[in-house]
Amino acid sequence: MSALTAPETLPPHLARIADGLRQVTVEVDSGTGGGAGILWAPDLVVTNAHVLGAAGLRLRLADDRHLDARVVAADPRADLALIRMPRAGVLTAAAGDSDAVRVGSVVVALGHPRGLRRTLTAGVVHALATTPGGRRWIQADLRLAPGNSGGPLADPAGRIVGINTLVAGRLAFAIPINDVRRFVAAALAALR
Amino acid sequence: MITAMELSEALAGAVERAARSVFAVHGRPRLPSTGVQWHAGLIVTASHTLEPDREVTLSAPDGRTLPARVAGRDPGLDVAVLRAEVDAVPLAEVAADEAVRVGHLVIALGAGPRASAGIVSALDATGGRRATTDLLAIDLELYPGFSGGPLVDVLGRVVGVTTSGASRHFRCAVRAAAVTRLVEHVVRHGRIPRAYLGVGTQTVELAEAARDRLHLGQRTAVIVVNVKVDSPAAAAGIIIGDVILSIGGHAIADPEALLTVLHPDRVGQGVTVSILRGGEPRDVQVIVGERPHRA
Repeated sequence: MSALTAPETLPPHLARIADGLRQVTVEVDSGTGGGAGILWAPDLVVTNAHVLGAAGLRLRLADDRHLDARVVAADPRADLALIRMPRAGVLTAAAGDSDAVRVGSVVVALGHPRGLRRTLTAGVVHALATTPGGRRWIQADLRLAPGNSGGPLADPAGRIVGINTLVAGRLAFAIPINDVRRFVAAALAALR
Repeated sequence: MITAMELSEALAGAVERAARSVFAVHGRPRLPSTGVQWHAGLIVTASHTLEPDREVTLSAPDGRTLPARVAGRDPGLDVAVLRAEVDAVPLAEVAADEAVRVGHLVIALGAGPRASAGIVSALDATGGRRATTDLLAIDLELYPGFSGGPLVDVLGRVVGVTTSGASRHFRCAVRAAAVTRLVEHVVRHGRIPRAYLGVGTQTVELAEAARDRLHLGQRTAVIVVNVKVDSPAAAAGIIIGDVILSIGGHAIADPEALLTVLHPDRVGQGVTVSILRGGEPRDVQVIVGERPHRA
C-alpha cells in the first residue's frame, strides 16, 4: 500500500482539514457549560440541545469575535438545536452525505474537549448503529471529551458527516449529518 | 503521493474485504464474540469466549445462523478452532508473517462489521505473564465482543487474531503464523493436542535467600501437589513437593504459565524441567505427553 511508503504526505493534509474545520466551528457558551457548534448558514449555527443552558447564549467565532445568539429551535429528544446569530461574514460548513460513510474510514473531530480550544482528534468509523427507539448514530473509534458536544465529525475531505454528541463505552457517538439536515429543514419550515 | 481521503478509502475497503470472512460467535451468555474463517469450514475465535459444554452457533456475514462445534483449543494462546458447514463464506486472506512491522497501521474487526484502528507496537508482547513471540502488542482499542476477530492490514489481509484474554497489560493479537499452526493441527489430526505433564500445581513464594543463591529473577514458582500415575511427570521421576522453576528455559511463576509453555507443538518432545527438591536445584528431562481426554 502506497499509504505506508509516503506517510509524510498525510500530516499536512490533515492539518489543512483542521484549519478548514476551525473556521466553521464555534464555541457555544451557555453560562452553565458549553460545547461546540457548526456554522450551518451565515446566520445559523447547529449544536446539541444538551449544550444549551437556561440563560442566554454567547458564541465565540474562530477569529475570537464574541456574538450574542438565540435559540430558534431545540429538540431534546433528538439532542439537536438551531441557533440564530447576527451575520458576521463567516464561512459555512460543507456537509457531506452520512449515508455514504463506510466502516473503517478515517474521521476527525473538532471541538473544545475539556476547554482545550479548537482541538482536532482523529480515528476511524467503528460502526453505523441504530439504538432502540430508532435513533441512528455514527459510532467512531475516536477520542472525545466534554466540550466536543455539538462539534463536527468530518471525513478527510473536510466534509461534515456528523455532530459529535456523546461518549459511551469509549466510543464516540455522532448524529448523522443527514438527520441534522432534516432537523434544520423542519425547524426552518416551522418558523415560516 | 496519497491523500488522507485515499487512505480512508483504503481502510474502509480493507474492512469490507476482511468482513466477508467474519462471524459472530455465540458461545457464552449475552455478548457474542468474533470469529474468522481460516480454512474451509474452520473458524478461529478466542478460547475464553467459548464456555465449556455450551452449544456454539455462528452468525454468518450474510445473516445465516449456523451450528458449530469446538474442534480444538489452545488455552495458552487463547485460541479455539470451530468446525462448521459455512458454504459460500470466503476464507480470510492471511498476510505473510514476515510482512508485519512495528508501526504498521492495523484494523481490528468485530462482527457487524465494527472497526478499531491503531498500530502494531511490538512484535513480541514480552514483559507480560505470557511472554511469547506468538503475540503482537497493538496500540488500539479492543471493544467488547472483538475477541477472536481478525487484525488486518491496510489491504484487509489478516496479520493476527485479537484477544482480550491473553494479557491484562497489553492489547494483544495472536500472530497469524501461530494461528495457522493450530489450525494445521485440526486439519491434519482433527484436533489440537493438549500438552500434558500430569502434575497438579500451586503457586509458591520463593524465599529470598534461595532466589539470591540461585540468581532467580522470579518471585514465585509452582509446587507440585499431585502427580498422576503413568504420566510423563511420573515417568521422569517428578514427585510431590518438587518446586518447578522453569520449563525449557521459560520461568514458571504460576500454574497458568504452564499452559503457555506447554503449547501443542511440544507434545512428544523432550523438555528440561528445572526444579528445586529439598532446596537443591536439579534438572529433569520430561517427554511431554498428550492429555488423555476431551478437547
